[in-house]
Amino acid sequence: MTLALGVALGVTILVLAIVAWRATRESKLLLRRLEAAATELENLQMAFSRFAPNEVIERIIAEGVTDFGEKKEVTVLFADLVGFTALSENLEPSVLVGVLNGYFERMSRAIGDQRGYVSTFIGDGLLAFFGATDPNPWQGNDAVHAALAMRAALADYNRELTKRGLPELGIGIGLHRGTGVVGLVGSQQLKEFAFVGRAVNVAARVQGLTRNFAVDIILTETLKQTIDPRFATRALPDTAVKGVEKPLAIHALD
Amino acid sequence: MASMTQIEWEPCLLTQHPAPELERRFERETGRPGQLMRYLEGSPWLADTMVRVSVQVMTAVHIDPNLVDQVGLVISQDNSCRFCFGMQRAFLRVLGMSEKRIAQLEHELLTGDFNPRERAALEFARRLSRSKPLTSASDLLPLRDVGFSDEEIIELAGLAGMHLFLNRLSTFVALPPQPMENFPDQWWLRLLRPLIAAKFRRMRHRGKPVALLEVDHSGPMSDFVNALDGLPMARDLRIMIDRLWASSALPARTVTLLFAVVARALDSTRGEREARGLLVGQGFERDDIDQILTHLASPVLSEVEALLIPLARETVWYQPAQIQRRCAALQSQLSNEQFLDFLGAVSLFNSLCRLEVIVGMRT
Repeated sequence: MTLALGVALGVTILVLAIVAWRATRESKLLLRRLEAAATELENLQMAFSRFAPNEVIERIIAEGVTDFGEKKEVTVLFADLVGFTALSENLEPSVLVGVLNGYFERMSRAIGDQRGYVSTFIGDGLLAFFGATDPNPWQGNDAVHAALAMRAALADYNRELTKRGLPELGIGIGLHRGTGVVGLVGSQQLKEFAFVGRAVNVAARVQGLTRNFAVDIILTETLKQTIDPRFATRALPDTAVKGVEKPLAIHALD
Repeated sequence: MASMTQIEWEPCLLTQHPAPELERRFERETGRPGQLMRYLEGSPWLADTMVRVSVQVMTAVHIDPNLVDQVGLVISQDNSCRFCFGMQRAFLRVLGMSEKRIAQLEHELLTGDFNPRERAALEFARRLSRSKPLTSASDLLPLRDVGFSDEEIIELAGLAGMHLFLNRLSTFVALPPQPMENFPDQWWLRLLRPLIAAKFRRMRHRGKPVALLEVDHSGPMSDFVNALDGLPMARDLRIMIDRLWASSALPARTVTLLFAVVARALDSTRGEREARGLLVGQGFERDDIDQILTHLASPVLSEVEALLIPLARETVWYQPAQIQRRCAALQSQLSNEQFLDFLGAVSLFNSLCRLEVIVGMRT
């Protein structure tokens, strides 16, 4: 009887030990998977931070895609390549894409170094914002510094292109400051972090004027009022642009 | 931890110099190894400040010290401070926190298994850390909803501010994170963990309420210091701030300008108002102050100020490697003491200006 009880107890202890061992093993396995999933999520978050500010990404993760929007004063930079259509007809597609990517890389760096946020590339055009992601009381100066850095970066890139026997690129940059809404905009399938407001249209129109006045950077009077007076600017004639009632006071940046 | 180790981090900007007395003081007052002080030996003010802040982050009067430690981890991660994150993580591991719990703090702050008080405190600390925009009275409501008293909220904010100081300073000089990151995996730690944990717990004591002396109620940044009155950190902050303004490395006007720029960047209206008042008292014309704060440049700035002012704004939000490279570029143009005092000063202003919301609670 005692022997039977002892055996039963021994078997019970053995079974319990096996169960406990398996539970521990399963728990460790689950923990490892959990950590791997969490790390993957964080890596994804880091990758997505190129497309929208971290706060927005966290809201998407926590709440799903929302109709998030916020009113802000932002400085808009719109840049476009001059004569790119003609260039695109004369270059091999792979060379063309290489040239374009090299250009965007350099311009994005110049903008990022001055705390700007590149929102989108539209063909050979580029749209960037200052003060849209982080509060930035110096956004006007930053945008002007970025435009000057883009000019210098393009000059460097053109030297490189010439060495490779490729044609030089020209640029037109329009700068304006105004109020609008930043948020997640788009369809259910495709959303992007964007700034919506008339300031974007004005910057794009002002960029278009660079060809009329044969200059590479134009800023509006609204922006000029906020920037360091030591920037070398030159008044251009007030000019009517589509979508704006009165002629715009504009300045070239030397 | 994988994602934190992926953060780009430059080589340390500082070299170590023997500082036996400072090391002994740090070890005596914090219970932690004092090698860190070898980096700060060049600035008596910053070395003293580092000891005081390191003691204060372990001294909670009203809040559970475990919660304070978790706040430290969450803020360090949010600021991408690899050094502080590694240190805080090692600290929690030694104290016995499970890997699962640490993983939740690292990855699942928004969705993880936290009780309402923990979640409210951690989210508030992260809001303070980001300050985009500056924390306002409405950010206190979730804390009050789960039963935090005003004293607890003020202490939580103050302790978060102390961690923010440590994060910034450690990041700007790129303190080497690897020893801390590898520390929890040392084989001997498993054997000695209970002993080390007991020592840490002894050092991480409950503080006692301490009222500021009458004489301590005035001086630079008094609104911020007085808001913390009743906590031991208030007295230490008063000492740190007074010594900073009396620093031999940076003139008082330079220190005040740095305060003004950080306050402007964070939209801290109280901070900027006070800094403007101090600058007027130091002989600045109002137009010059306007020009400096609007454009971060002016002919009235000294050569050193013209270097420091633009960098001061960069210390508010940054990518670690980028700010480390900018600090490295500045380093060769300053004396070691100027460099350290500058970094300490902007770290302090960044942490205190973020506490504007608690100044509002006391007025």
